[in-house]
Amino acid sequence: MPYNIIKENLSTKKPVLLDGGIGTEVLRRGVRWLQHGIEDAPHVIRDIHVDYLNAGVDVLTTHTFNLTKRNFINFFRDADHMDLIGAPGLPTRAIELCRAAVSLAKEALTQTGKAETVPLAGSISPVMHLFRPDLSPPENDCLIHHKECIEILSDCGVDLIFFEGMNNTREAQAALQAAAGFDLPVWMSFVPGVDGNLLNGELLLDAANLARSQGAEAVLVSAGSIPMITNSLSNIINGSPCGAKAIIGRYSPPSWKPDFYPRFEDTDEVSPEKYAQEVNSWLDQGVHIVGGSSGTTPEHIRAVRKMIG
Amino acid sequence: MSYKELKRKIDAQQVTFLDGGIGTEVLRRGYTWASHQLKSEPELNLEIHQDYINAGADVITTNTFQLSKRSFRNHFANDEHLEAIGVRGLLDRAGELIHESVALADKARRSLDHSDTLIAASITTLEWCFRPDRSPDAEEIFDEYLEELTDYAEAGADIFLFETFNSTPEAEVAIKAAKEVGKPAWVAFVPYQDGRLLGGQSMEEVTEAMARNEPDVLLLNCAPPDHITAGLEQLAPLWNKPLGVYAHVGKFNPPEWQFTDDYNADQHLQECKHWHDLGATVIGGCCGTTPDYIKKVTEFFS
Repeated sequence: MPYNIIKENLSTKKPVLLDGGIGTEVLRRGVRWLQHGIEDAPHVIRDIHVDYLNAGVDVLTTHTFNLTKRNFINFFRDADHMDLIGAPGLPTRAIELCRAAVSLAKEALTQTGKAETVPLAGSISPVMHLFRPDLSPPENDCLIHHKECIEILSDCGVDLIFFEGMNNTREAQAALQAAAGFDLPVWMSFVPGVDGNLLNGELLLDAANLARSQGAEAVLVSAGSIPMITNSLSNIINGSPCGAKAIIGRYSPPSWKPDFYPRFEDTDEVSPEKYAQEVNSWLDQGVHIVGGSSGTTPEHIRAVRKMIG
Repeated sequence: MSYKELKRKIDAQQVTFLDGGIGTEVLRRGYTWASHQLKSEPELNLEIHQDYINAGADVITTNTFQLSKRSFRNHFANDEHLEAIGVRGLLDRAGELIHESVALADKARRSLDHSDTLIAASITTLEWCFRPDRSPDAEEIFDEYLEELTDYAEAGADIFLFETFNSTPEAEVAIKAAKEVGKPAWVAFVPYQDGRLLGGQSMEEVTEAMARNEPDVLLLNCAPPDHITAGLEQLAPLWNKPLGVYAHVGKFNPPEWQFTDDYNADQHLQECKHWHDLGATVIGGCCGTTPDYIKKVTEFFS
């Protein structure tokens, strides 16, 4: 059970290294953002995982962020409308793509001989756009949605569930409640705003405490810029497992997309060495789990590995 | 042709031709449509417009569907958040691309010595077009429309084509803003298979609201041919002013388009004849239609 290695690291306060951006890496490698690139360029997704594994990650993350049934239905008025004017197979496409995404991560683990030593984290995003807490649906919808997502990833054999980019406590609670029925460790990251709290104004400290009390083994901050992440750390550091990963560059969404689209510009403004220095300061402050959000590359993670040793 | 001449043609119930799909044409020609390709592939945009002009379109539309300041803003929690992590100049991007889009359409008509072709600004709902539940409060959006329409007017668009609208309250605001800017407003709604709007309103409700606001042309668009027919059958008997249609062919495959053989250009023409019999005189194509579709239509009706 590769997760036991991580558990031990966390109990002995040894740093745990996560991977960096996956969606942004897909685009950076020239793949069109359609079905997450999974159908058109599975080899690229696998290569990205392999590159992160070779960079020395302790945990690998699946390329399943924002890959949900809901995400397809959101383009339509409702399921009937999708059925009438949408392409065939849309209702089951997210499930198929999630399964394919997990397979690609597993292939990368096998290819690098790390299947027994590096656990696979199944990434689950908020129901709606991670930067739009106001769109998050009522608690019961969240519960049903997250349960479906966990079921798919659990069936595929991931080692832990990683709720990434949660933006409000109601949904966080529902997600953790949904995960309670599965025998998998759960991590949860929150998106900080400029003031170091959640994007909807709720206190990150409260959200972090809630997540821990509801079963999250680790609480992280992610999907904020380096200053935003740094600014938020005091709200999650309390001696128990916590982590941080920042975006680099600037989010450049197209207008014609209602959901998150992992395009970032100016990512070269933060070099791998510079990023590693920032990560080092987070570790000094008491964070144990580090990685990179959108915009970071295998080179950034390699630099962090080099720094951690 | 000036708009006055086009209006005379429309009022005389001569068939007037719109172009076909633009975004889907970008896709069909092998590009992603994530940023409309206005700045990255200007030649591609130019060629698509030229192809539609050559196919006989009287009116070509800008490649600007879902391009608005709000669409960019919608990817962030608030403006402070956008300022912190958004790419620099994002809030100016819509305005810049609007100018670019009209310039490209203008360049296309000039390049073919077709200065009589008119340019319609493609403007959809502020929130996602197929989500009537997300329609913004009509009281609060006038200024947003005014700003956007002013950009198009300054850039030289001839017509405001409000398309893929799902309910009347937002359309009414859009028409009011168009009148304030002083350009013709054409309004196209999405019908559903039951002959009502996608947002649920009946065609009686539509025509009542539109009679108060008087769009220059009332149209139905962005639905498969059978939904267009269902909507038009309800709408035509209630509306004695200019009426138009442009259906989509194929299937929406978010965020792109699946081209299918369901309605080829000949079958699409048969549908157009039927819609013309029902009273539609402004005819074009929506997502999935190509210059060939428009050519068939213009050749038949001319």
